[in-house]
Amino acid sequence: MATAMEHARRDEWRAEFDAAARRSLRTRFRYAFVYTYKPVLDDAGYRSFATTAAYREWCARDLPPWLGYGPAV
Amino acid sequence: MARRFEYAQAEEIRDVFARQGVRYLFIGKSGAILLGYPDTTQDADLFVEKTATNNAAAARALLELGFTLNGEQVAEIERGKDFVQLKSGPFDLDLVFAPDGIEDFEQAWRRRIDVEGFPVCHPDDIIRSKEAAGRVKDREVLPRLRAFRDYWLERNR
Repeated sequence: MATAMEHARRDEWRAEFDAAARRSLRTRFRYAFVYTYKPVLDDAGYRSFATTAAYREWCARDLPPWLGYGPAV
Repeated sequence: MARRFEYAQAEEIRDVFARQGVRYLFIGKSGAILLGYPDTTQDADLFVEKTATNNAAAARALLELGFTLNGEQVAEIERGKDFVQLKSGPFDLDLVFAPDGIEDFEQAWRRRIDVEGFPVCHPDDIIRSKEAAGRVKDREVLPRLRAFRDYWLERNR
């Protein structure tokens, strides 16, 4: 059963979704896409991986954990 | 440093990919944002159909968009990779040829949503791919993304 806190959170999200729905796509873009430097990840112009699994392994092994690209435990 | 991804650049992707005949879908958070999901992200993620013809068309489109690719990189994209990360152009772009959690491109294509001419994965597919990827950052975003999917389905019944 959902708690009062969960209900409040869903109401808050719904208000955010309603607000976004009132904006044009162009405006949503302006708010949504931001640039933040990500160490290692942003330090090469091109990378390719033969398999998605190989990409995931590279993320887990080579990226700082705090970026959040590693597997959720 | 790549510039922030802007609406005009999304239009360029749409127009250049259409001109070159590339079959693709916006996926990931950038796809969700196109559908109306309010959140922030850095780059655009494109699910590109992995066929020899489409790979070659994608490589041509990237060059036309202004990405700097050497001969070997173009050849790699043409031969087919599952994941290509580009930060050598006017904006950051991830090409995902085999996203986690989605069986094949054709099924996702049939479920696609058209948003002002942008082909976007259905929210169920975006969620499935994030669930299957299982990264920390995906797990964090999933509860709100699922709530958005329910909201979106309700509005688009």
